[in-house]
Amino acid sequence: MKLKDFLKTVGVLLIGLGFLTLTGRSFADGITPGSQQATEDLQELINPEGVVHVEPLKLNPHPSTLENKTIMLRWNGKHNGDQFLNRIGELLTEKFEGVRIIKSWQVAPDTVVAVSGSQERSMELMKKLAAFKPDIVIGSQAD
Amino acid sequence: MGIPTVTIASSEFVALARETMLSLGVVDAPFVVVPHPMGMISKAEITKKAEDAFSEIIKMATGWTPTGSLPPTKPAYPAERFKESGSIAEVNKLFFSKGWSLGLPIVPPTPELVTEMLRGTSLAADHVIGHVPPRMGILTVELAAVHAVMAGCKPQYMPVLIGALQAMLDNRANWRGAATTTGTASLLVIINGPIVKEIGIASAQGAAGKMHQANASIGYALSLIALTVGGSKPPSPDKSTLGTPAQFVPWIFGENEDALPLGWEPFHVKRGFKKEDNVVTVMGIYPPVENIDHWSVTPEEHLTWWGHLATPLVSIGGPCWETQMEQVHIVGIGPEHAELVAGAGWSEEQYRRAFWEKARLPFSVWPKGCPNVDIVAKKLGITLKPETMIPITYRPENIETVIAGGAGKHSHYFAPFPECFPVSVKVQK
Repeated sequence: MKLKDFLKTVGVLLIGLGFLTLTGRSFADGITPGSQQATEDLQELINPEGVVHVEPLKLNPHPSTLENKTIMLRWNGKHNGDQFLNRIGELLTEKFEGVRIIKSWQVAPDTVVAVSGSQERSMELMKKLAAFKPDIVIGSQAD
Repeated sequence: MGIPTVTIASSEFVALARETMLSLGVVDAPFVVVPHPMGMISKAEITKKAEDAFSEIIKMATGWTPTGSLPPTKPAYPAERFKESGSIAEVNKLFFSKGWSLGLPIVPPTPELVTEMLRGTSLAADHVIGHVPPRMGILTVELAAVHAVMAGCKPQYMPVLIGALQAMLDNRANWRGAATTTGTASLLVIINGPIVKEIGIASAQGAAGKMHQANASIGYALSLIALTVGGSKPPSPDKSTLGTPAQFVPWIFGENEDALPLGWEPFHVKRGFKKEDNVVTVMGIYPPVENIDHWSVTPEEHLTWWGHLATPLVSIGGPCWETQMEQVHIVGIGPEHAELVAGAGWSEEQYRRAFWEKARLPFSVWPKGCPNVDIVAKKLGITLKPETMIPITYRPENIETVIAGGAGKHSHYFAPFPECFPVSVKVQK
């Protein structure tokens, strides 16, 4: 390379480094062109999801056997739910001695409700069924 | 109550069942999953499904013990902040990927914009409006403002938005049911009072349609809250078979009180408020049925036509679920139809009674195997025969009317989603 060309090349490099210095960019910092722009666009936003606080519910213990137990079969009114539970009732009677089957749609037809509008409403329905003192409830949602 | 349970759910719905239980504090529950569907198959098929599930039912009934625990909680206020770089388009992409938007553009909610939005309400930012089902996310006034920003609301819309949320989260509104159903449910939001004109709520021509910023942005904010805070996302827990565009912006309009016939009272006055009160009423609904009557010249002719249109309620098996017979149905009467009826000297009460008397179907049309038909017959004081005409609700008082829209010969009937009752809230500025 001739001296003239060498000096020309060094001059271009020096001008380039000077330009980068003026803009505050540095290869030593490891910042690539463009990311400086991304840092300037950083904005604070609020998470729209919100949080959930629920108290854990403890579920009731299950019996170790269904012999001599009173079993309520609960239907929500959706098509075939009663047919499904009818067969379950038959099989339970065949398999377990002393079992007593109660069908919710026979003893409490006003609890045959496909949609319960609130927890309070659900509790209202459940209290009606609990009054029959079952040892366990098997519920079919069908659909 | 001390009674253990086993729940049988079809494979398509067990995720919804688990999500519902989790939102109520039940981390784990004994489920027996049956291949979907259980409904609309033959007796032989459902009997086979019962036999196949029997051993699992016994196992759950006698051998199940719970496992798992709830995740740790964070404070509800202030809402979490985070830093994000990128263009508005990139923020939109982020929000959608996290399930925080409906797939339409949102305004990124910066703290500065939310602070500005909060100037529209006198309620404290940390005030808890309620818990949004089905997820039961805690909705503070601050969080409502976040969604108002995202939806493009103006601060002066905040009182109506908060009023609608208070109504929506009332137990009587049954928002959980409407947000998780397989049905095509959405919200109906009716606004009354001076605030309609004060903040530019559309109430006349095309009121429930496009180009009305107040209506659209308030409705959009409600939908965003239902999605993000309430967690109502398809395919579960939002089980809607087809969905509806009304899940983006619900049916929301002001009553056209200027078009009220002489002697007819505004919707909110009939519901117990004063004329000068600002009131928001919310109800979960099915898609409305339109009455396009261009020909009747007497109220009798017009209401007879309504009778044929309003009985699609049978498509949801309304009478088969007896509790629906207690529900309120809302008729949005177009001003020209209202003028036809009132011009003949009819009162609003006469309209409601005629609607109730006409909107009936014969018992023979009801699906076979409808439960509780005897309860319906007893409450109506009738004997059920194939030709017995059954109304859509037990009493004419359960038909409510609102003057809806502008010029044109159209009215709309809004059938309620099961167990969704209209809830009215006085707006607090």
